[in-house]
Amino acid sequence: MLKNGISYIGTVFLLLLTHVSMLGVVIVRGNIESPTNLLLLAGAVLGLDLAYIAVIKWYRQMTYTLDLLLLCVLNMGLIFQSCFGEVQLSVKHLITCLAALAACQAGFLLTRNQEWIRTKKPYIYAIIGILILSILLLTGDRSMWINIGSFSLQPSEFIKPCFVLICAASIMELHKKKKILFFYVSKDTLCLCAMALVIFGLQWWCRDLGSLPTFAAVFGCALVCRFCYPRARISKTAVGALCVGAAIVLAAAWMLAPSYVQDRLHVDIWADPYGNGYQQCQALIGIARGGWLGLGPGQGYLHNVFAYESDIVFASICEEWGLLYAFLMVIAILMMLMTVLMNPPKSYYHATMATGVVAVFVVQMALNIFGSCNLIPFTGVTLPFISQGGSSMVTCGFLVGMLKAGQSPLFRHKADKPKKKKKHSKKKKAAGRVKA
Amino acid sequence: MKSIRRGQHLITLMLLAFLVGMGILIYTLQKEADFYISHSSKVTLGCVYDRSGDVLFDPAAKKETYGAEHFLDVGNFIGDNSGQMTNTLVSRNTDLLTNYSFMLGVQEDGDAAIHTTLDHKVNRIVYDAFGSKDGCAVAYNYVTGEIYVCLSRPSVNILNNYKDIETLEEGSLLCKVFYPTVPGSTQKIFTTIAAIEAMGAEKLSAKEFECTGSYENRSGDLIKCHEESGHGKQTVTQAFANSCNPFYAQLVEDLSLPLYSIRRTYRSLGYKVNDEGGKSLNVNGIESFTASTTLTSAGDFETQWGCMGQGKTLVSPLQLMAWQSTIANTDGRMTKPYLIDHVTRVNGEIAASAKTERTEAMFSEETAAEIRRIMLENGAENYADLLPGTKVAVKSGTAQVGNDKRENSLLTGFVDDPEFPIAFCVVIEDRKKGEVTTSKITAKLLQNLKENLK
Repeated sequence: MLKNGISYIGTVFLLLLTHVSMLGVVIVRGNIESPTNLLLLAGAVLGLDLAYIAVIKWYRQMTYTLDLLLLCVLNMGLIFQSCFGEVQLSVKHLITCLAALAACQAGFLLTRNQEWIRTKKPYIYAIIGILILSILLLTGDRSMWINIGSFSLQPSEFIKPCFVLICAASIMELHKKKKILFFYVSKDTLCLCAMALVIFGLQWWCRDLGSLPTFAAVFGCALVCRFCYPRARISKTAVGALCVGAAIVLAAAWMLAPSYVQDRLHVDIWADPYGNGYQQCQALIGIARGGWLGLGPGQGYLHNVFAYESDIVFASICEEWGLLYAFLMVIAILMMLMTVLMNPPKSYYHATMATGVVAVFVVQMALNIFGSCNLIPFTGVTLPFISQGGSSMVTCGFLVGMLKAGQSPLFRHKADKPKKKKKHSKKKKAAGRVKA
Repeated sequence: MKSIRRGQHLITLMLLAFLVGMGILIYTLQKEADFYISHSSKVTLGCVYDRSGDVLFDPAAKKETYGAEHFLDVGNFIGDNSGQMTNTLVSRNTDLLTNYSFMLGVQEDGDAAIHTTLDHKVNRIVYDAFGSKDGCAVAYNYVTGEIYVCLSRPSVNILNNYKDIETLEEGSLLCKVFYPTVPGSTQKIFTTIAAIEAMGAEKLSAKEFECTGSYENRSGDLIKCHEESGHGKQTVTQAFANSCNPFYAQLVEDLSLPLYSIRRTYRSLGYKVNDEGGKSLNVNGIESFTASTTLTSAGDFETQWGCMGQGKTLVSPLQLMAWQSTIANTDGRMTKPYLIDHVTRVNGEIAASAKTERTEAMFSEETAAEIRRIMLENGAENYADLLPGTKVAVKSGTAQVGNDKRENSLLTGFVDDPEFPIAFCVVIEDRKKGEVTTSKITAKLLQNLKENLK
């Protein structure tokens, strides 16, 4: 890996050590009904580790950091999800982990080349349009879920990477600005703003209060990146006007929010511990019960509470594994995001994309963790990589792929020919070993 | 590259903001964990003890272990964790009693406990001294703030596990020390304080008003005195001792005592006057009623009646007792009463120890000295047998409650002895002639307390 000073073998060793030690905790403190369940879980976790390590080694990338961190976090999540209530491999979560890993590679391949992605902007807008239409037409009663048999899809999750992508892909068009009324703006920026408004409206209509701040954060980051653009030349008046506008919109949203939103903003959970505040009260009691070191995997009670594996998953982990483990899990996710700081993006397109991806993860983690612990209103969003849910996992995987694309120098070698690649491959391999 | 670095700065900012949030979360979780776990059914509670180690609450208490009525006198004050009573020491401080720590988790046999300042032995003696009468009594150290006695009758025997809840007398599930009562003539202490504040001790002492048994005020209403033949010409000291209503009606009408000045003094004491102001007082989380009154016009019957502690004037016995410290300490500052001396955590460590807290001055030192003199004179003349050999400052009161003309008897005051600095308030409900008196109960309280605190 680049610049981080840890060898590839060293990183792999740390990864395996993390999962083996977690499995050790399961053996020592876990609620194991049958040894077969434990063997299945250990086999799945270590098997996935070894298989993916082999795949990425064969794939010959310049950077492995994000892949290994993603694998680390996904398997942590798999162990957590397989231990709630009792130790039993969560096959559903294993499948979504595989899908996330595949989505990561897809995200990497599709987004690494900025020139290519710029030509595909209309398609991205079209995909977002289709996803919006699917929400409007296929979900029932202002919902955000499409139910197909026993499967449920959340199309708004898939809009997130697309939105990040158009925020990044349109950044280079800033130098094509034209004066419209009083402002110099580019056509792409106008399209982006229009799309953002449509998405915000859709989220408001769907009552998806969890995703709305996420999209707002991505859009906010995209705007800031535009201000920082080398040829942005955005006047202070425009920036001031935008800030005032945003403040007015926020204040209006706060004041005019419908009653169900107001309830969430002002609910005193301890005044209604068996009604509106039930999930959060139980989550906080669970965290307190777990303390620093937890009750032990499978020894908790929160698995009896609705959404223990998704909306209040942080509390479920705290209860069984302890706050210390839960905090380490958060640090592992943050390390993934911090790779952007260690391996700087190679272009402004990738920097904008990385900013958007980090915004998605940070806001979603904050909403999930702080919301379930009653620091902020509870919105019921998933915790990236950890919560159960196919749509969320695939999206998270794809977003990590986008992050990886920004760090990989491969996009620079567009003109490389296969025979040259052979020559370079040895160098790259060596570089990988040295720098990894 | 500069722009890319700006992007990185933005990312750093977001990550830092999130980490700060995580820091706040971890701090909050650790700080509030005791409160969260107190809502769990999976946690055991520790005991509550009195000042000498006698048990006041034990979650595993049985009649066989403690005796059938061991907790009767503290049933509605210390309470239990059943959820039947919400304004008791246990229900308000369950988080301090949990055998739990964030590091060790839930422990079956921890050392979590609350050690109180209460004297259970004296408390029980005073409880029994009421005989068949209902009412309440409270006493505390006006220098330190330690509550020694606090009881309310009728009470509830928590060892019956509320099987008799249907047949419990009204008021059994609350400690009346913290709830409103009509103060009667004990209110005259505070009206006198207002008068001294407004016109000065000398001018007030020089004032004399005639009592002929009744007084027709400016509005034409008749203020009657309990002495039908009247007290004659009186000074404030005499009127205070005689609880003379016509004197106080004329004092309220006197131009030297403007009504706004009475309002100001009452508000500074903590009264809610005409629905404005009001300072709440609570004892380790147990909430107490905030005193209130209505004062509209100096010549108005309701206003004058209120200044004499009748009509719409309401106080809690806890406040009546605590206000005595403003006089006893001679500086106008109130010593806040407390019950929890210290708390031990699950591992036996002392987690929190009590500290004496005092309020800002509610009135001047000169006023405190003058009212103290008046109260001590009253005590010496009329209540010398409360604690023989020791000066006790006293004010009695009779409050008319309800439409059926029931009369509650009150006695409040303090012991003027630096070695035994006790302030008290005793209320007997619906007292009739020949029944136990507040002075008898107070005498029992003070004498036993003095003996026990040696």
